[in-house]
Amino acid sequence: MPIYLFIFRRILFTIPLLLGITVVAFILANAVPADPINANLPSNQLNNPELVEAFRREWGLDKPPVEQYLTYLGNLLQGNLGRSIRSRQPIAEDIGRFLPATIELSTVATILGVTFGVSFGVISAVWKNTPVDFLVRTLGLIGISVPLFVLALVGLTVFHAELGWVAGPGRLSVRLSPPPNVTGMYLIDSLLAGQWNVFQDALSRLILPSMVLALYITGMISRITRSSMLDVLRADYIRTARSKGLRERFVVLRHGLSNAMIPIVTAIGLSYGVLLAGAVLTESIFAWPGIGRYMFSASTGQDFPAIMGVSILIAFIYVVVNLVVDVLYYFLDPRVRAA
Amino acid sequence: MIAGVVSAQDETVLVVGHAESTDSLDPARGYTQTTGIINKVTYETLVTFPSDSASEIVPLLATDWTISEDGLTYTFNLRAGVTFANGDPLTADDVVFSVNRLANVVGNPSFLAANIASVTADDEDTVTFVLNAVDPAFLSNLSNSAFGITNDAQVIDAGGSAAEDAATADAAETFLNGTSAGTGPYILEAWESDVQTVLVRNPTYWGTAPFFDRIIIVNIPEAATQAVALESGEIDIALDLTSDQMPGFEGNADIAVASVPGNIVHFLLMNNNPDIGGPMSNPLVQRAVRLALDYEGFATLWGGINPGTIMAVGQQYAFTPEQGIARDLDAARALLTEAGYPEGFDITLQYPTFTFQGVNMDTNAQKIQSDLAEVGINVTLEPGELSVSLEQYRTGQQGFGYWFWGPDVLDSIDVLSFLPGGKVGAERANWTDENSEAVIQELREAARVATDPAEREQLFTDIQTYLQENGPWAPFLQPNVQTAFRADLQGYVWHPQWLIDLAILSR
Amino acid sequence: MSSIISLTPASARRKRARRIVSIFLKNPLLLVGSLVLLVWLLVLFLAPNLATHDILQQNVSVRLQPPSGEHLWGTDELGRDIYSRVLYGARITLPAGIIVIVIGSIIGTVIGAVAGFYGGLLDELLMRLTELFMAFPTIILAMAITAALGPDIRNAIIALVVVWWPSYARLVRGLVLKVKRAEYVEAAQCLGARRSYILWRTVLPNCLGPTIVLTTLDIGSAILTFAGLSFLGLGPEPTSPEWGRMVAVGIDYFDQWWTWLFAGAATASVVLAFNFIGDSLRDLFNPELR
Repeated sequence: MPIYLFIFRRILFTIPLLLGITVVAFILANAVPADPINANLPSNQLNNPELVEAFRREWGLDKPPVEQYLTYLGNLLQGNLGRSIRSRQPIAEDIGRFLPATIELSTVATILGVTFGVSFGVISAVWKNTPVDFLVRTLGLIGISVPLFVLALVGLTVFHAELGWVAGPGRLSVRLSPPPNVTGMYLIDSLLAGQWNVFQDALSRLILPSMVLALYITGMISRITRSSMLDVLRADYIRTARSKGLRERFVVLRHGLSNAMIPIVTAIGLSYGVLLAGAVLTESIFAWPGIGRYMFSASTGQDFPAIMGVSILIAFIYVVVNLVVDVLYYFLDPRVRAA
Repeated sequence: MIAGVVSAQDETVLVVGHAESTDSLDPARGYTQTTGIINKVTYETLVTFPSDSASEIVPLLATDWTISEDGLTYTFNLRAGVTFANGDPLTADDVVFSVNRLANVVGNPSFLAANIASVTADDEDTVTFVLNAVDPAFLSNLSNSAFGITNDAQVIDAGGSAAEDAATADAAETFLNGTSAGTGPYILEAWESDVQTVLVRNPTYWGTAPFFDRIIIVNIPEAATQAVALESGEIDIALDLTSDQMPGFEGNADIAVASVPGNIVHFLLMNNNPDIGGPMSNPLVQRAVRLALDYEGFATLWGGINPGTIMAVGQQYAFTPEQGIARDLDAARALLTEAGYPEGFDITLQYPTFTFQGVNMDTNAQKIQSDLAEVGINVTLEPGELSVSLEQYRTGQQGFGYWFWGPDVLDSIDVLSFLPGGKVGAERANWTDENSEAVIQELREAARVATDPAEREQLFTDIQTYLQENGPWAPFLQPNVQTAFRADLQGYVWHPQWLIDLAILSR
Repeated sequence: MSSIISLTPASARRKRARRIVSIFLKNPLLLVGSLVLLVWLLVLFLAPNLATHDILQQNVSVRLQPPSGEHLWGTDELGRDIYSRVLYGARITLPAGIIVIVIGSIIGTVIGAVAGFYGGLLDELLMRLTELFMAFPTIILAMAITAALGPDIRNAIIALVVVWWPSYARLVRGLVLKVKRAEYVEAAQCLGARRSYILWRTVLPNCLGPTIVLTTLDIGSAILTFAGLSFLGLGPEPTSPEWGRMVAVGIDYFDQWWTWLFAGAATASVVLAFNFIGDSLRDLFNPELR
């Protein structure tokens, strides 16, 4: 099957899923016992029927649910996620403001986590059942067992408050102005603008939260890499390669790792989802102005349009990441191409 | 952080660490402590207080004023040569527009304008207010930043309206949340909700130019994080510390501290409507709750005092901590038995998840739960997000709530809000003329208009004595305000109305 | 893959016991995990005997005291004994994680089994539904649900069950599809057994092993997520000695490390124990990986 046909079919398959996601988000947002009018209009406006009516009309609360949903979907297709009840800003704009911070954090954490995870996994598999293997596996298990919020607190107490090695919470020192907005990611934007001091400060603040997240990813990826490598290393073609007298390092990396990549790629895709979720905790401790913190204040503030917008967005990202993983399969696994 | 890094322009920057509570920066709509701090320097009022007290009324945008014989008409002469940040001159029309807009948008501070019958521009520089009733606190009232004068042309351009239908017609809030349209020493550059608020110096300010070019108020909800940020030099001043942290600054030559009694009173609300308050609407239960609280414990916990009544200690005629209620568990149990609850009862306490000036309400709620458990009242805690809980409280839907109060008006008559029919009394606790005693209503009416100091002292003493025995309030803590700042920062002084005047700080 | 539940004849009991001992000795992680878990289970049951103080007893005059003979792990911001509170915390966090996984795995297993066994449109429908719920990251969906239902311990558990069943549905469906083709199932069909009988009595028991392994691995992450939710204030009420909640309070006092470190370490140790056990069990049932 040619690549474009493959991608097209995949996209076609995800459409019902995407629709379903919007339905679930919509049901959740409307299964509220709290009255959104009471929660969001100032008290002295509640006595004014005109104002209450205006609010109802603005949020379509006067129409039947199905119609409300279709209106919502129509707006969604035009990129309009509605307005946040709390910030009174368009949600799409809010997301545009908060998402780059989360992407920056998650991407750095993924890069760190995958690098360490794959290396540890390979080491563990090659020296299987040795003390090295045991140590790496135990560390991997510890990585996925210590709560993120505990790691974050230990990190802040030790490396920021006590030792002063890294900067504290926040994305950038308040004394510095953010670099001119190009990608919304401070590391990239500051380099583009040649603002070296901004880059340094942003990096210093990124280290701790991304390390905390990366530890979890490392634990997850190293476990999967190890078992996947072990599977592959037992395979016939590896034995053939070895019998041909190829150097062991070459066999492991060229033949072993490249074939073990398929489950690892899946895990990386999955880990991105885990990261977005973990971001809620890390962002709240590190005062990171990202989508997780936005979601948290939306959910405690019963800002249902915003909850809906963020849930849909994150679910969409997850679906897209899976799509990308499928496409990578296409390149990694000849069997998919043949199917 | 990296030391010595400053903005490209070499500006002087003041960074304030603060637990943000902003609801809106539109002077006619915002009504929280953070809004007050910010609007104090972006807008100006006709009259104001001295920078360190509320002992007298001093001129600001008005240079002088006259009051009619009957006490109902106030005429103000405006200061000449004042311009808004965009260069427009200040005129009487701007004042009329701002006051009418405050009255008509039906925002949270609009009640402050309720007693104003009319406001008219006599000419370019003269404004006349006519009141519905005599109000000894009218000038104190006018000093609230809700009466900050906005540029009518700018606000109208942004969709603003001061007409009677302004509640629906006015659309300027979004604009005013993004920039300010006042005459103050600073201009609002940006408000990123929950992140930070940025102010820049108003280059055309008519008065003494402030020292700092730029002020950044960064939202740091946790007291501990504020302390660390201050020590590392990340922020210049931390507004919401707790007494626990003060000893940690001793011996640190870089940091100076200030601790003042403050004027915020933390209190319990017990709704007088039996359908909402349940057992808490029973006057005997209300008295029992007041006797069951461990006042000394709360004062130890935060560093503070037992407020004598709901009137903050320090207000004129207010009771002292020694005159406050003392804990008496036996008396409380007896009252509960008399009320028909010998075994106590179950009740839910609603309060916001919020830390104000370093006082974590969640911690206090747990102590309230534990204190009341000793007399058999079994409290379930129901924390809510600030804006959600605030609306339940403001609409009188909370049966048993925990809130704090800072005076709206720096005059003893502020306490009238808590009496039957008052803003807080009637709207939030359902304490009305129908379900209250005549004696307190008479005291209220007399206190509203009394001007003779001896008479006022007697009236407010009687009101407080009454409140210690009766009513839906159980005030239990007036925490000290703990502030710490970099030692080179000059000019910090706590103010009972606006808490801190950022424009008078320098380095 | 074999079921881990098998009946042992009495004569082989001693031999079996020796084998179990040797399994533990060969798997130090399994041994450590089981011991830690055993300790926590004991703590869970004996908390009232082991605690030195009333966990709700406040005393502001001894607040924020560092660990001492009187208060082994110090006191919190209201002068409560942290040691006793952490012990009692085991009674909340541990069962919450287990309940989530037990209910989630039962719901998931039933849905997955029905989908895999009956196939066709029903399968298609149920699997699309499963995928749908898998698309929402755990905490995000749980936060949306607790926002709608209100934050308390029961709603936190409901939210986590909603989040957790899909992975079991997917696993069990795959297993059922495999088992369905096995000879003994076909034999049962030939003998005219009812379809539902085949599903519940023949197919499902053979899917149990892998499901239980996944369960052990999952309890750890369910506990983590539950503690995370209550860390965010979306779990049990404020006075509760729930571990995540205790750590959250500790943020205000992070200089006083004992206010949060013990609760955090407790969470980590329980999760670690489950992960050690789950990991070892998985290896035991996939011996080819060793």
